[in-house]
Amino acid sequence: MDMKVKGSKELLTEVIDTGLCTLCGACAGSCPYLVSYKGRIVLLDNCTLSEGQCYQYCPRTCTDMDAISRQVLGMPYSSDELGVTKEVLMARSTDANIKGRAQYGGTVTTILSLALEEGLVDGAILTRMSDDKTPSAFLARSRKEILQGAGSNYMACPVLEVLNHIPKDSTERMGVVAMPCQVLALSKMRNEPPQDRMNIGNVKLVVGLFCTWALSLNGFHQFLHENLDLPRVIKFDIPPPPANRFDAYTSSGKISFPLDEIRKFIMPACTYCLDMTSEFADISVGSVEGIEGWNTVIVRTDVGADLMKMAKKKGKLEVNILPPENLAHLKEASLLKKKRALKEIITKSGDRKNLLYVGLQESIIDNLLA
Amino acid sequence: MKTLTKDPLNLIIAGVGGQGNVMISLLIGKAFVRQGYFVTIGETYGASQRSGSVMSHLRISRESQYSPSIPNGRADIILGMEPVETLRILQQFGNSDVITITNSRLVYAVGMEYPSLDKVAEAIKGLSARLWLIDATDEAAKLGDPVFANMILIGTLIGSGILPIDRESIELSLQESSPREKLDANMLAFNKGMELVNRG
Amino acid sequence: MAGIGIDAPGTTQLFIGNEAIARGALEAGIGFAAAYPGTPSTEIMESLASVAKKMNFYAEWSVNEKVALESAAGASFAGIRAIAAMKQNGVNVASDFLANIVMSGIGAGLVLVCCDDPSAISSSNEQDTRNIAKWLDIPLLEPGTFQEAKDMTKWAFDLAEELDTICVIRSVTRIAHARGNVKLGELPKKEHKAHFDNICPIAPTLTKFIPYPSAWLHQQLHVKLDKAREVFESSPFNWYVGPEEAELLIITCGSCWLYSLEAVKTLNLESKVGILKLGTIWPLPQKLIEKHLSKSPKILVVEEIDPFLEGNIKEMIADLPPASPHPTFYGKRSGHINAYGELNPNMVIGATARIMDITYESRPAEYSKKAAEIPFTYMPMRIMTFCPGCPHRATFWAIKNALRLDGRDGFVTGDIGCYSMAIGPAGFFQERTMYCMGAGAGVANGLGKLAQFGFNQPVLAVCGDSTFFHATIPALINGVYNHSNFTLVILDNSATAMTGFQPHPGTGITAMGETTRVVDIEDLCHSLGVQVDVCDPFDLENTTATLLKAIAENGGPRVVIMRRECELVRARREKKPLYKVHVDPDKCLGEACGCNRLCTSAFSCPGLIWDKDAGKAKIDEVICASCGICADICPQGAIIKEAV
Repeated sequence: MDMKVKGSKELLTEVIDTGLCTLCGACAGSCPYLVSYKGRIVLLDNCTLSEGQCYQYCPRTCTDMDAISRQVLGMPYSSDELGVTKEVLMARSTDANIKGRAQYGGTVTTILSLALEEGLVDGAILTRMSDDKTPSAFLARSRKEILQGAGSNYMACPVLEVLNHIPKDSTERMGVVAMPCQVLALSKMRNEPPQDRMNIGNVKLVVGLFCTWALSLNGFHQFLHENLDLPRVIKFDIPPPPANRFDAYTSSGKISFPLDEIRKFIMPACTYCLDMTSEFADISVGSVEGIEGWNTVIVRTDVGADLMKMAKKKGKLEVNILPPENLAHLKEASLLKKKRALKEIITKSGDRKNLLYVGLQESIIDNLLA
Repeated sequence: MKTLTKDPLNLIIAGVGGQGNVMISLLIGKAFVRQGYFVTIGETYGASQRSGSVMSHLRISRESQYSPSIPNGRADIILGMEPVETLRILQQFGNSDVITITNSRLVYAVGMEYPSLDKVAEAIKGLSARLWLIDATDEAAKLGDPVFANMILIGTLIGSGILPIDRESIELSLQESSPREKLDANMLAFNKGMELVNRG
Repeated sequence: MAGIGIDAPGTTQLFIGNEAIARGALEAGIGFAAAYPGTPSTEIMESLASVAKKMNFYAEWSVNEKVALESAAGASFAGIRAIAAMKQNGVNVASDFLANIVMSGIGAGLVLVCCDDPSAISSSNEQDTRNIAKWLDIPLLEPGTFQEAKDMTKWAFDLAEELDTICVIRSVTRIAHARGNVKLGELPKKEHKAHFDNICPIAPTLTKFIPYPSAWLHQQLHVKLDKAREVFESSPFNWYVGPEEAELLIITCGSCWLYSLEAVKTLNLESKVGILKLGTIWPLPQKLIEKHLSKSPKILVVEEIDPFLEGNIKEMIADLPPASPHPTFYGKRSGHINAYGELNPNMVIGATARIMDITYESRPAEYSKKAAEIPFTYMPMRIMTFCPGCPHRATFWAIKNALRLDGRDGFVTGDIGCYSMAIGPAGFFQERTMYCMGAGAGVANGLGKLAQFGFNQPVLAVCGDSTFFHATIPALINGVYNHSNFTLVILDNSATAMTGFQPHPGTGITAMGETTRVVDIEDLCHSLGVQVDVCDPFDLENTTATLLKAIAENGGPRVVIMRRECELVRARREKKPLYKVHVDPDKCLGEACGCNRLCTSAFSCPGLIWDKDAGKAKIDEVICASCGICADICPQGAIIKEAV
């Protein structure tokens, strides 16, 4: 894999125009030329620089998984289905307010509120549903604002653009709730801290989300607009298989769409993603299949572990062992995503030696292709 | 009355659009017409307002009207309001006898690498039989407004003695075209120019 | 404007060709003048308008050149001598009326002045408008000196009345805008009396002022031109200088007369080369030309743009008796003179030297060598750009951003004005088609109907406020009528700026400085039922958002008016800047910003420069107009604007 850092021109030709861009937002706002707009990354002017931070921190350019893993987690890149894990649990909030707003168990909202309360962070970068029901990323500085971030959005949102807009002399400590691709970009930044920007060391907590795929804002919003009375929509949900549905909850009830109808709006970039569980986060959170109202929680770092312990001790979270069948199922799903993605990458590049943006050890590649 | 050193006498005023080369050419031209000469003035328009390279060609003759374009290599005097423009004009219109008076203030070209004054001044010197490099803009700023650079340069031109017109001629021209209240300020700048050329 | 109305006959003034023409019209006793601004003709009307009130005649800026010529004709029909002035494109616009009025004849003297722009220095195209004389059978004169510009114009009115047809004076930039000695004549002191005579000399119930019956009138027109030819044979505007028998005869006209004279003098060929200078260009004074053709074995024809004289002289020779001499011709057809672009003395010197087989060096060879060796980096080219503070810079920045954000490969169609510079870096290369007045909206109309062929690129047509009145209105109506999908952006800077800030129907002031009713662009568009938005281009955020909304729509045309006064006009009036702008050197990161010098390389305002020694951006206080737009561009907030 070519480890050379290139510029915005190559970002366009290698990532954005080839269908690899996940709209993570790592490039947007890193300079005045790159912005996100209605589900796309737009280059407003022609930059002639041959090297740029836009290319450097993009999770779809030269990413050495092993180097990042060692820097962020202190361990080599794991061949385990779920990546590096200290513990895998299930948890849910004890707060009725949070539970009322939560998609599943409300764990993310609880953890962030606790981190804010305890002074571990001064703010958190989250997404919330805006008036037109598309996700919009924002910086929350109070418990009330964090609560606005509760609930799943299913559409790709350039969250890291908010991080890029934080002034470079800021001393505020940040938490970030991010998708696997965004966590990867953050990890690249932690690996080689960006110059002349907010100190990446201020990011004290990364909460990663489980993700199979994300929907493209572009086409999907039009679909929602045509098929729903958007002002009346309260939340969206994709129940676990075998439901095969996309549900929209409105003030007058639930409207379902066959999931197959929605699949065409999946971001093409998701096909090439190897990470279902945000393997470089402090804590990774998802649903528990078949058990409503709970979260699967993967603890990966000391920061994550300490926070989970505190949450349990202070009675903010109810924590249990994850049932073995659920764990097995989770591992299976995660492994399937890795295998599929690797195959797609090799099909796209046409060469087993060319994995496009990702660097993996041979042994790992062999395992996944076996 | 002084006479022309050459007939026709070819003078080029070179600068950047908006610097006032048209005003200068008119002032000098009228002074000559009043003394019974044929004067032709050719200008580059269009580029004028919009920061392009501009030049005024003055043809002064006792004998007949000349074309508004001085042929290549036939300038006798170059009055430059900007060093790079002075050099540009010298390259095309200069010759081994040309006399050059130029302002030292650079005006940058948008988006382009700009050369240093030393290099440009050296090249100008190498292409001129005689050269005066005048800090007209700085002196004008001292007098209160960079726009006085024009009058200072006219002062240097007249003060150098290479044109057969004198201070009074210019003052008359100014009286015709300049508003009353500006006349004194302009003549002050003009005098400064005459002073500078005698110094240098 | 130097006083063209000076009552000092016999004195010599230094006039530009346009002023000389205007003075000639005054000396001919005109009562009416109409024009539309167009380089290089604009000063004709400007100088006439400046004295019109004092001298009791009428001068106007018409909405376009067709109306200008028609209204001048109206005055002529009522017995008032009238002049219409325009650039070459204006003649194109007026050509339909011109083609008709040559048939009918005129009232009082009517003269059309056409100023061509060789090399299209300030135009969209280059064309030789003398061809119209042959095409439409019009007597045409071309002055070769500034004195002649005045004398010819004065005489043209007499000629027009003698022949009973419109006459054309053709000028070019190097006469129109160059300055030279003009000895003044008398200014007539006569009262103008206007009356439209309803009695036709031929048949009392029929009017004279129709081009009917056309074929018969066409024949009469030929008779008129024969008469003109007679007059031209002995015209003082044609002359010969040189030896009785010349080795080479230069036939020339217009600005090329002085070039040819200088060429012969420079090469010391006065005893060998003669010059026949023609001022009466069409119809050709054939006998005069014939006489000189017989005296030289070689003929070099020197004229601006087309081989008009050249081709027509050759045509003339075909009708001469077979025994007539057949000299060798040099000129545009032989490649000795360019058949395109503007001429200059160097070309004429070169052609003459080549034909006479002599070598010519303008300066010592070592000087030329030294001059050629100067590195081109010492003399960077200055690109034409918008003035500092120009609202168009802000408009096109917003357009660029909106089109990129929209992402459907949208583009701008435009036409001629200050905003034409948007074809280049000044306007971020946004303007992708550029033609004549009104063409932007015209072309957009076609593009806006191509959805059935899979076309979905947003089309933005731009035009200026003056252009809107001149030519764009019919195109907008076409869009409404034919339901074409495009956005019309009207750049309303309250002036006809490119030509020198002349007023127009939207400004509420006339050419003669009187206040008049404003024709409101917004109201006009509303009356067509189109969506109209008005933006201040200096508010980049709102302007970009408005544009995005407009191009996202479908259906017939919609209008976005960018309203902000031309900075040069505002500065002249208010005499103080909007803001005080400076770059904070501590905040500016220079090259380290990683913005690839967005402020100086992408934004390209001449007032914002790169200080190479400091490695940072800097405001050039002499150039900067302090509009404050650049303050919003800097990602570090290093450009500070403070209200004054």
